[in-house]
Amino acid sequence: MDAQTQVDVSKLNEADKKELSQILANETQKATIQQTVHSLSDVCWKKCITGKITSGRLDQAEETCAQNCVERWMDANLAVLKHLESLRG
Amino acid sequence: MSLFGSGSSSSPDSSKEVKDTIVKQLQSETAMNNARILISKVNEHCFAKCIPTPGSSLSTNEQTCLTNCMEKYIAFWNEVSRTHHHRMGLESKKMLL
Repeated sequence: MDAQTQVDVSKLNEADKKELSQILANETQKATIQQTVHSLSDVCWKKCITGKITSGRLDQAEETCAQNCVERWMDANLAVLKHLESLRG
Repeated sequence: MSLFGSGSSSSPDSSKEVKDTIVKQLQSETAMNNARILISKVNEHCFAKCIPTPGSSLSTNEQTCLTNCMEKYIAFWNEVSRTHHHRMGLESKKMLL
C-alpha cells in the first residue's frame, strides 16, 4: 500500500537481485493459483449454493459439492488438455 | 503512511534493506489484491442471493442474510482452496512418476 517509499534498485547486489527474482517468481505463482481459486469459487458457488442462505457455515452437502466441483473441474481441465494433445498428433 | 505497519519511512540504504522493502511491498500488494477480489465476489454473489428485489432500505432479514452469506462464501472459498491445493499436490506427484 505504501508505494511512496522510494527504493533505489541500483543498490541491490547480485545475490539479492537473484533472491528477489526467485521471490517474485514464487509470488507470481501464488497469485496465479489464488486467481484460479477465485474463479473456481465463483463457478462452484453458483452450482452448489442454490437454496436460501440460512447459516454462515457450510453444511455437509455444500462442502461435498464444493469438493466434487473442484475435482471435476480439474478432471475436465485435464481431459481437455489430453484431447488437445491428441489432436496435435 | 505505514497503514499496514511497514515500519520506517526513511528510504532504504543497503542492498538488504532495499530487498526487504520490495518484498514487503510486493506481499502487501498481493494481499490487498486478493482481498479486493474476494470482497467484490462476496458482494456480487451475496447481493444476488440476499437482495433479489431491492427495497428502499436493507431489511433486517437482508442484513442477516448478508452476514451469513459472507461467512459462507469465505468458508466455501477456503474449502475450494483446500481441495485445489490437495489435488495439485497429487497431480504434481503423478508428473514425477
